[in-house]
Amino acid sequence: MNGAHTSIRDILYEPPGPKARRAIFWATAASLAALAALAALIVRQFYVTGQLDGKYWSIFTRYTTWRFLAKGFAGTLEVALSSSVVAFAMGMLLMMGRISRSRALNWLCTALIELSRGIPTLLFIYFFFLFAPQLGLKLSAFWKITLPVAISAAGVVAEVLRSGVNAVPRGQTEAAVTLGMRGRSVFFKIVFPQAFRYVIPSLIAELVIVLKDTTFAYVVNYADLMQNAKVLISNYDALLSVYLVAAVIYILVNYALNKMSVAVAGLTRTPAMPGK
Amino acid sequence: MEQGQKIVGKEPIIELRHINKHFGSVQVLKDVSLTVHKGEVVVIIGPSGSGKSTLCRTINRLETIDSGEIVIDGAVLPQEGKQLAALRSQIGMVFQSFNLFAHKRILDNVTVAPRDVLHTPKKQAEAEAMELLRRVGVGDQAHKVPAQLSGGQQQRVAIARALAMHPKAILFDEPTSALDPEMIGEVLDVMTELAREGMTMVIVTHEMAFAKAIADRVVFLEDGQIVEESTDPKAFFDEPATERARLFLRALEH
Amino acid sequence: MSITALLTQFGDRYLAALWTTYKLTALSFILAAALGIVITVMRISPIRPLRIAADLYVQVFRNIPGAALLILLVYALPYLQVVLSYFTCVLTATTLIPAAFCSEYLMSGMNTISPGQIEAARSLGMTFLQMIKNVVLPQAVRSSVLPMTNLLVATMLTTALASQVPLSPTDLTGIVSYISTHAVGGVTAFLISAALYCATAVVIGQVGNLIDRKVRILR
Repeated sequence: MNGAHTSIRDILYEPPGPKARRAIFWATAASLAALAALAALIVRQFYVTGQLDGKYWSIFTRYTTWRFLAKGFAGTLEVALSSSVVAFAMGMLLMMGRISRSRALNWLCTALIELSRGIPTLLFIYFFFLFAPQLGLKLSAFWKITLPVAISAAGVVAEVLRSGVNAVPRGQTEAAVTLGMRGRSVFFKIVFPQAFRYVIPSLIAELVIVLKDTTFAYVVNYADLMQNAKVLISNYDALLSVYLVAAVIYILVNYALNKMSVAVAGLTRTPAMPGK
Repeated sequence: MEQGQKIVGKEPIIELRHINKHFGSVQVLKDVSLTVHKGEVVVIIGPSGSGKSTLCRTINRLETIDSGEIVIDGAVLPQEGKQLAALRSQIGMVFQSFNLFAHKRILDNVTVAPRDVLHTPKKQAEAEAMELLRRVGVGDQAHKVPAQLSGGQQQRVAIARALAMHPKAILFDEPTSALDPEMIGEVLDVMTELAREGMTMVIVTHEMAFAKAIADRVVFLEDGQIVEESTDPKAFFDEPATERARLFLRALEH
Repeated sequence: MSITALLTQFGDRYLAALWTTYKLTALSFILAAALGIVITVMRISPIRPLRIAADLYVQVFRNIPGAALLILLVYALPYLQVVLSYFTCVLTATTLIPAAFCSEYLMSGMNTISPGQIEAARSLGMTFLQMIKNVVLPQAVRSSVLPMTNLLVATMLTTALASQVPLSPTDLTGIVSYISTHAVGGVTAFLISAALYCATAVVIGQVGNLIDRKVRILR
């Protein structure tokens, strides 16, 4: 009967007595009224500034609008997925270096992880946007956004993977060694698959951060959801509505990813580890 | 009267009158009435799911009741507010899972309520706490935090914490169920000592030998009902009056 | 361009940029923490509409990209006749987003408290406020140290958004693009900014670890 309470929310307050019930009733009514007033104020502001006008919103009844936004979103996804793959590869290498027995490699990878985690994505983007050409690196807009976003995520991915490896019980390695398996094959066949299972939720959560970072694609002129929204805006002169819809798309997609992360965490029965 | 048996007073400390409680559609307490007198040790036994823990927890309203009345030392247990807190402060509680405050040192675990609820001066509260900790045998642990103590030690601290409020009675909700076998004895010893000193106690337990030794009265609960009550624990455990109690006790022997 | 040459020419601007980043970080963090606490109180209140509104807040602002929020604040709000200065826009964005994460950290910090401790506090006769003061708050705060240092670093990284609006003085990211348009070989500028960000992040992390080791609750 005690185990039924899972969250602090459910246990913090006692079952209310009559007085508390009355207080909660009135507070609920008052807060409902306040929230309704706030909503009304916002809607009113939209109304008096003419932003509720049909011309701003009717474009969303058109198939072409959504197709164009979808095309932009495809660009966003392309960058996000490519970045994730690159970040995973880099994170994997960093993690291997971090847990290796070589002191120098250890130190180097620790430093690289700190750099990846301690520098804003935008600064990495500026590096690829402004200076990579000066250094003789000719990159397409796609890579100019994909690489910095990946670099920015790699450090967290490395740490997430490492926490997964650390969570695999020592006995697993020992058992494999007694069976005559060798170091590398123990790691890749026994330890890592388990570690990976543990950290899937955290990796999905990191995908959210990657997806958010791709919105800086406008800096390098890559056609993502935001860029296509901008084109729509200049075509239809409907800035507020289009940007609002774009923001809601991002929020919903990320929300879905987070939900997925929690669901997967529930399946693998390990709590999601904190990301960046 | 047998030698060594203490005299139980006539003054009721806890009165439960016609308590009913449901969890959803399941009725877990069915018209339960029980009076605990001053200095009395009442042991509640019964199969798991019989409602004995719930009954114990209704006494200080950690569980609400649907109907009935709970009277603590002549005052009806209120449903909320300062009055409820005040009555609770007079009834100690010891939980199955110890529930010490994880961030506080052992000494502070014992002093926090006396200082904040009873407004006992710090010096006095600490002196009393040290005395209590020594009494339950963990005086030398006072400056550690709960996680550094064994389960048995933690439970003894929990008893000291309850005692520090100078309660009129203490409720024990399966105090040894979460303990490793070798630690059960040390906690039961402290409880036996308390009983000898005349503390009013309500104990929910699965330790039948202990129950037999310590109880002034045994209450056998099944399916939310008091099936049998006996002021002669020896007789109850050797030859219970009801068939259901007999079945329960026999099942335990195997 | 060498570091000395760069610092002679742009040294003052660099200091100003560093100050802008620190100022934005500190202001955002304080405001985000305050807002995060308010949101958390709403989320754990027994008042349904407040719970729902605060939950919604957290979901919106932990999922919206910083750039999208900043663009809305800078370009869309004026259409609703709400015109904020660039600095206010940035500060708003770098406050609203970390506040959502702050609330998430506080919630998980509180969830580390076993329900049994709350029942124990009640059984000792503590009132709701006494329980909050003695049991809930101290534990929630102490187990939030590491998440909060992470939040402080994340907030600092978020303030790079300031480079996306014309601010004077600009921030540590903005100055890199400024220098690269006013001089050749701005890679040095990039390196200096990167080093400053990273050093700050490492220091914050170390201090956080130090505090955490002092106050961590053994379980």
